[in-house]
Amino acid sequence: MEQILVNGAYLGAQYALIALGLTLIFALMNVMNFAHGQMYVLGGFVTYTIYGQLGMPYALALFVTAITLAVVGAVVEKFLFRPVIKRSQRDESTMLLAAGLGFFLDAVILLVFGEKQRGVPKLINGVFNWDFRVIMPYDRILIFALAVACIIGFMLFMQYSKTGRALRALAQDRDAAQLMGVDVDRYGMTGFALGAMLAGIVGGLLVTITGVNLGMGGPTSTKAFMMVMIGGAGVIPGAIFGGLILGFMESILLSTLASYGDITYLVIFVSLMIFLAIRPNGLMGKPWG
Amino acid sequence: MRKSIVKTVVSAAVSLSLFSGMAYANETLKIGFVGVTSGPAAAWGISNVRSMQTRAEWLNELGGVKIGDTTYDIEVVTFDDQKDPKRAIAGMEKMAQEGIHYVVGPNVDDGAAAVRPVAEKNGIIYFPYAFPKSLYTPPASNAILGMIANYQSGPAIYKYLKENKGVKSIAFIAANESDPLSQRDGGIEAAKALGLDVVSSNITYQVDTTDFTPVITPVIKQNPDLLVLSGVAPANAPQLIRSARELGYQGLISTETAQDAQVLKEGAGDLANGFISVGGASTPEIASDTMREFVERYTKMFGEYNDESNTKVYALEYIVETLKANPAAIGDVEEFKKTVDTFQTANPYMKGDAVLKYVGTTSFTQKRQVMVPLVVNVYENGKFETLFVAEVD
Amino acid sequence: MGLIIMQNKKILFTALFLIFVLVIIPSLIVMTSRWDLYYTLSSVALLAIASAGVWLTFYIGRINIGQGAFALVGGYVTAILITKAGFSFWLALPFSGLFAAFISVLIGLPILRLRGVYFAMITLVLTEVGRLSALALPITNGAKGISNIPLPGELSFAGITIIPDFASFENPRMAFYYLASVLMILCFATLYRLSNSRLGHLCRSMQQNEELTSSIGVNIAAIRIIIFALSSFMGGIGGSIFAVMSQSIYPSSFQVADSINFMLNCFLGGLGYVFGPMLGTVVLYFGWDLLFQTGKYQMLIYSSLLIISMLVLPNGLLSIRLSGRKKS
Repeated sequence: MEQILVNGAYLGAQYALIALGLTLIFALMNVMNFAHGQMYVLGGFVTYTIYGQLGMPYALALFVTAITLAVVGAVVEKFLFRPVIKRSQRDESTMLLAAGLGFFLDAVILLVFGEKQRGVPKLINGVFNWDFRVIMPYDRILIFALAVACIIGFMLFMQYSKTGRALRALAQDRDAAQLMGVDVDRYGMTGFALGAMLAGIVGGLLVTITGVNLGMGGPTSTKAFMMVMIGGAGVIPGAIFGGLILGFMESILLSTLASYGDITYLVIFVSLMIFLAIRPNGLMGKPWG
Repeated sequence: MRKSIVKTVVSAAVSLSLFSGMAYANETLKIGFVGVTSGPAAAWGISNVRSMQTRAEWLNELGGVKIGDTTYDIEVVTFDDQKDPKRAIAGMEKMAQEGIHYVVGPNVDDGAAAVRPVAEKNGIIYFPYAFPKSLYTPPASNAILGMIANYQSGPAIYKYLKENKGVKSIAFIAANESDPLSQRDGGIEAAKALGLDVVSSNITYQVDTTDFTPVITPVIKQNPDLLVLSGVAPANAPQLIRSARELGYQGLISTETAQDAQVLKEGAGDLANGFISVGGASTPEIASDTMREFVERYTKMFGEYNDESNTKVYALEYIVETLKANPAAIGDVEEFKKTVDTFQTANPYMKGDAVLKYVGTTSFTQKRQVMVPLVVNVYENGKFETLFVAEVD
Repeated sequence: MGLIIMQNKKILFTALFLIFVLVIIPSLIVMTSRWDLYYTLSSVALLAIASAGVWLTFYIGRINIGQGAFALVGGYVTAILITKAGFSFWLALPFSGLFAAFISVLIGLPILRLRGVYFAMITLVLTEVGRLSALALPITNGAKGISNIPLPGELSFAGITIIPDFASFENPRMAFYYLASVLMILCFATLYRLSNSRLGHLCRSMQQNEELTSSIGVNIAAIRIIIFALSSFMGGIGGSIFAVMSQSIYPSSFQVADSINFMLNCFLGGLGYVFGPMLGTVVLYFGWDLLFQTGKYQMLIYSSLLIISMLVLPNGLLSIRLSGRKKS
């Protein structure tokens, strides 16, 4: 049992971090970023190149990853999403753009980094073993701690910094924020960059545990969407709850339903559908996404 | 063996010097490829296409291949089916349209089964990397299995481990997708036939799992002597191994699919030591100079070699050699099918006197499989070492 | 007067389109002997039918990424009815559509209350549920799928052959082409008729504001269900014909990527135009095929073109033709 809870917490923390970036972008721009998973993969590959291939320190690799993805996010917002949002009749049109961007990043990753699964040397060796009741490798514990630190750091940033306050105002009511003198364009870009950066950081963290490969992007986006839905779209604490809930659900159901085999995810998906049917806006979402 | 290489080289050199002035005069022999080269499963098809392209360019550089009285340059026509059976059919239709009679692929079970009616209608022989027996057993007759099936390698591996390592209990884990699930079922059957105790067999995972610890925990609790990762994708293998070992699992781990040493090294490091998988023919013990040159050329063309290509180099070789043996087959697959029963020639990729011939009678009651050596590898410190080599009949 | 001219123009346009699809394309295929086009074009027609369903749900303001599940249901129902219950294809086809519609009513009752991204996400999950169910249910034959589905037999009424046995054609693909394209034309005719009816008018107002529509006494719940059922019916029909055309169906026959493609077809063609999904399907499908010459850069160029088309024409390809006119 303890093992299941520990696994759930570890999964939940990494999921929450993925969902945060997605929900932030959604809150600010009303964009369902289908390319979020690809940004995560890109982050993993950047860290792989700097830490795994060039042999530079991990902290530096993570830093460069964050910067790279922030730049990618900013560029994508300024040159792709902003003009399309301005000119299209319906918000949803950005979904095609996001999906196209996802394909594009996939293609770039394939050409630049190749088709193979990649991994980096372990950060710390050894396994924490509490009497075989809880088994957790040290590097997982480290990544868990880093993920939690990132989440807390992000929350503090959103709560107390000037930028964070402006972003929250923007997310709450775009028009009002504009009237209050918030530079909507600038903060939209900042928010997008921040969201992409979070995706990249998760990629950089997880590459040390699970490695990274081309195919992880799409499914990661789907999972991130699910967490965002559970918590409520565009709500930052919601994303954290969503991530934790999905993490614990996977961990618990995988062990309790183990004897039934193939149906764990079927159960997860169906219960998500039932949950959303009962609570159409997730745990704490705004009525109209 | 050596002699045949020398012969090939000499004849190639002669034909090169004779025909160098008219190199462009060669006719073109189109060989098709229908498989997945983009998206999440891109790795499977890419190693396939690249093997074909490397070998085709090499043969063309040597002046082409002489089939009957005509010398042909080989052109590889590729089609990316995006791992979608609907697209695979469109790809096969396209091959038929191009007048192609020999196609390598598709890479997955459903794609391979889906293209069957098209191939049979249009007289196409295809070489899938997919295992359903119904593709190769009569009345089906146009598919030739391009590798060793899990129901052939699995029993051989289990038997070896049972006899040499004292394995008594076995557990299976598979991705919740068509191919791995079928392979798992085949594995369970084989294990039961050998009298092994199957302690866990219904654990599955999603291919996009980022943390395998919760998935694999219930299996490890059963503490089997052998853990089989059925049909595991190269991307998932290192993570599964790592999770199992970190949870304290001490037993053996094996799979029936081909893996890449570099991927294992990066993804699991020393934890992957002792991992048993099925390889091709490039383990140092058995690789010939031709194989080494192939790896070199591949690396030169594409930057990095993929160990999965060890198996995938064979299909094109078989097509070309069989056509050489019976030139009438070039436009008539019925001739090809006749030749299949008797065809035999030297295997250029292996040391010693290994041969290329069609097998599969035991599994399919007819010869619908290329003979590639069943090389069972064990991973040690960044490299594969040969555990044992066997043959399929 | 102007109305009559418009009416005439429409008839002329329809006639030209019919001639193009049913006469010119087949003759071109015969002349160039590009037989592989029959399958490709039938695929496009079937995918366009499914996309039309997705477009219909857009019409009531819902982003539907679940059409793959309904196409899969349609395909499996047809496959099971034909191979296990001995049904004729011509009976299985409407039944598959109806079954998909029935399922969609059951699922739609609770989930159609969701809007925006919530609906989009829940339908995306639905596609995955479809695939996993196909893997897990005993009747679907699990991972192996159902293969060796026979070609459609003869359809006769009172001893008179209406449609001959497909196996009796020299090239059954041609028969499938006619079947798929006729159904596609019917489907888009329905769509067109619907969009110009009172129901279509109500749908458009629901797209703008459901509460307002509801406040004038419209039973929006009923409309939502009807539209969603119709949409899924189209998905089921598309999947059903696909199953018999490829003579097999697998859990992977329609999956998340397909659902997303259906949606992209609508976006690309233009959500504001009835014929948007058809154009989008044609362009996306053939765009990919044509780029196959570019080898390993295929995906890169394809996605770049998608992005550029979105930048230049964010309201869909058809907005270029109608940009001078007022939006309906």
